[in-house]
Amino acid sequence: MALSPQFVEELKGIVGADAIVVSVEGRMTYECDMHTFYKGAPDVVVLPTRTEQVQAIVQACRREKVPIVPRGSGTGLIGGAMAPQGGVMVGMNRMASILEIDYGNRTATVQPGLINLWLTHAVRERGWFFAPDPSSQMVSSIGGNVSTNAGGPHCLKYGITTNHVLGLELVTGRGDVVRLGGKTVDRPGYDLTGIAVGSEGTFALVTAITVRLTHAPEAVKTVLAAFPSVVDASRVVSAAIAAGMTPAAMEMLDEAIIRAINAGTGAGYPEGAGAVLLIELDGPRAEVEAQGDRAAAFCREHGALSVSVAKDEAERALLWKGRKEAAGAVGRLTASYLLQDAVVPRSKLPQIMREMVAISERYGLLIANVFHAGDGNLHPMICYDDTRPEELEKAKEANEELLRACIALGGSVTGEHGMGLDKAKNLPMQYADADLNFMFRLRAVFDPDRLMNPGKLLPTHPACGEGFRPQRPRLPEGAWV
Amino acid sequence: MSVTTRGLGGALAAIAGDAATDDPAALAAAAVDGRQPRWLVRPATVEAVARVVALAHDEGLAVVPRGAGSALAMGGVPERVDVVLDLARLEAIVEYNPDDLTVTVQAGCTAGALAAALADRRQTLPLDPPGWGGRTLGGIGATAASGPLRVRYGTMRDLLLGVRFVQADGVVTWGGAKVVKSVTGYDVPKLLVGSLGTLGVLAELTLRLHPLPEAEATCLLEFRHAEAAPDVVARLVDSSVQPHRLELLDAAALGACGLPAAAAGLVVSVGSVEGAVRTQQAIVAAEGARVRARVETMGPGFWRTYDRVLATAGPTVLKIATLATRLGPALGEARAALGADAVITACAPLGVLRAAPRTEDPAPLVQAIERLRAFVAVDDGSVVIERGSAALRAAVDPWGPVAPGPLELMRALKRELDPRGTLNPGRFVGGI
Repeated sequence: MALSPQFVEELKGIVGADAIVVSVEGRMTYECDMHTFYKGAPDVVVLPTRTEQVQAIVQACRREKVPIVPRGSGTGLIGGAMAPQGGVMVGMNRMASILEIDYGNRTATVQPGLINLWLTHAVRERGWFFAPDPSSQMVSSIGGNVSTNAGGPHCLKYGITTNHVLGLELVTGRGDVVRLGGKTVDRPGYDLTGIAVGSEGTFALVTAITVRLTHAPEAVKTVLAAFPSVVDASRVVSAAIAAGMTPAAMEMLDEAIIRAINAGTGAGYPEGAGAVLLIELDGPRAEVEAQGDRAAAFCREHGALSVSVAKDEAERALLWKGRKEAAGAVGRLTASYLLQDAVVPRSKLPQIMREMVAISERYGLLIANVFHAGDGNLHPMICYDDTRPEELEKAKEANEELLRACIALGGSVTGEHGMGLDKAKNLPMQYADADLNFMFRLRAVFDPDRLMNPGKLLPTHPACGEGFRPQRPRLPEGAWV
Repeated sequence: MSVTTRGLGGALAAIAGDAATDDPAALAAAAVDGRQPRWLVRPATVEAVARVVALAHDEGLAVVPRGAGSALAMGGVPERVDVVLDLARLEAIVEYNPDDLTVTVQAGCTAGALAAALADRRQTLPLDPPGWGGRTLGGIGATAASGPLRVRYGTMRDLLLGVRFVQADGVVTWGGAKVVKSVTGYDVPKLLVGSLGTLGVLAELTLRLHPLPEAEATCLLEFRHAEAAPDVVARLVDSSVQPHRLELLDAAALGACGLPAAAAGLVVSVGSVEGAVRTQQAIVAAEGARVRARVETMGPGFWRTYDRVLATAGPTVLKIATLATRLGPALGEARAALGADAVITACAPLGVLRAAPRTEDPAPLVQAIERLRAFVAVDDGSVVIERGSAALRAAVDPWGPVAPGPLELMRALKRELDPRGTLNPGRFVGGI
């Protein structure tokens, strides 16, 4: 959509001439997130520094019926921070300050553009950290984490972003600045903070976030165990959870990923292993020692080819190095891949991994896996050759089949990446018409004009949700008149 | 289509069979804040709940859902009570997946019944609001009720993975997932936790479980001067100790629990493997000794006693939420406002106090509540009547003020999701 010159001038007046991007080249850099499949450049990018500016932007867009798309660091994996319908993109990168750290109450209040890891850096010396740790945490923004309700390896123990968000300041699709929640708990009223986290910008733009800080554990222990196959390793994960083990993280890498990582970073994962399991325990020292020993013994008893325990921080960092660089290492296997993050019940891991091997063989496509095994959160990367158009179609089909298999096992479409443009169409796989209708109505309350990040999270439907007509219960009509 | 009263009774009977009654004695017993319903319905299936709500919606009747009835003295006095919807018969454990640490229960299942079913596998749903054993999980969800274990495990907000609920027009709806990690679509379970049944009737809950710790120990620190306790709390929170519970008891609460007299006490429990329990307990004891508190090891029965004391503390219970750093001053203020005989406890690391004044007389209570609200206002805190007489809750807003911005959104949600005011009208914040 073309914006009128007057409107662009108005936006420039709000944020200043040095905080607006209108050139074609400039806007192109904002056309996609890390899911480079989906492209859509905004008509203009604004970079506000204050909440009042964000509000003025939303009010102006509302008046002109122009779509509004928020963006943090652009590291999302779902086609979220991009503008399929054009409109105004609001980049939060200049609102990146820590507003307050309150150790006594274990909270921090930050602006949305702040990089996730910077918060931990700011509080680390005093013995605290911000627990949600998406693999992108060196570059992703906390606002983006809130938007997608991001998770990460240690969410197995600590929970995902929403479990750490106490309050939000936001500018709703109605153009109002609203402060929800805060440093005190148990606010009377609906948990609007809870419903806003993970709404992917379809309710509001987040302008400040109050989070809970977590005390750094006294001790950490990392165990790496190699197994003959990914199905064997999955069986161990299921058994460990069933046996009541509570590791902080439980990550799995399959053979393809091990190969790619060893070729690159020199993490030195056991060559020839079909899968490695990275188990991390943290907490009071005595607990970590006991559980670490138990985890190592458990792996040996369950057919591990080798088990090693990091002896110090340097060794621990090395064990994690490969895991953290896994996504990049995939580049050695393929130029292009489809990534999704469906979830299955932990007890169903062996079953879904067998299914995965079968799908990979059936489609003749390599599927590489590095994932949060402890909570059943898969991350299959379906590799394809992008010089052959038919391979992409095959990869898409394999992806859909895998998603359907996860749902059939009682799983979920996405565990931590979110819906975005990519998975909005998959929402009906998991929810009935009544459930979808409810979600459309929630959105209507926060964003009556449907201008907030349109096309994301919710599937498009002819009548914008009205089409998902729920079934009312049948009443015995006339029986009593 | 409208029907006569007599016809409505017939319709309810057609839907719910003998689960619906207009027997005067039953209706009198089902009264909410003295308001007697026209019908009491005790459906045995989610479908029957849906049909009752649908009928009520179409006929403009007000529905008051209830579980065990332990929180009926919470919230505003209802505007209208036509149908009391008793969910106690929906008590099934629908699906227990011990290997996944998840369980799905019907809303009327009590926390006690669930605990018994999980015990064999040494698993637990760590929610322990006062009187938890007899409370229904739907009720705990609808009221966001919490207890001492929240320090370690969080509240229903953190443990509810998925929820089946009946919307105001009778449509059965599902939100969330049955797996421990999901961000698919909006986080609908969060919206329903603590909504007091005003947006939907909770029918089925899928919950995250935890393994029971191998070993557990509890110790009591007794303080001669109450001022020393909050400082010890702060030091423990900033230590390697991971308490499962960390409750502060004032002098009256110590007395009510049958403990030796002191100005204040801290009861700390830790759970882990044996060795870690011992070392953590030693740290707690050392922190106590540092300020010359008397340290005593408590038996496992203490938390049962404590639960009973909280559940039966009296006709009035106030929940005062402040900042953890303001715990000391808030305690002092509560004592000054409510009198020395009020039983006051606190979930200390979160700054949440629970106060049970002795008096039932509304006038002084209203004054005390207003005074406490003014005190916590600077910290954005709240004072909520968790339990109180109808007279008290008619005399003062049981929820206290909600800021205009959020309140407007809450009202808009209610308008969108229950435009006819079918569900629990008048009982929630701002008269919702």
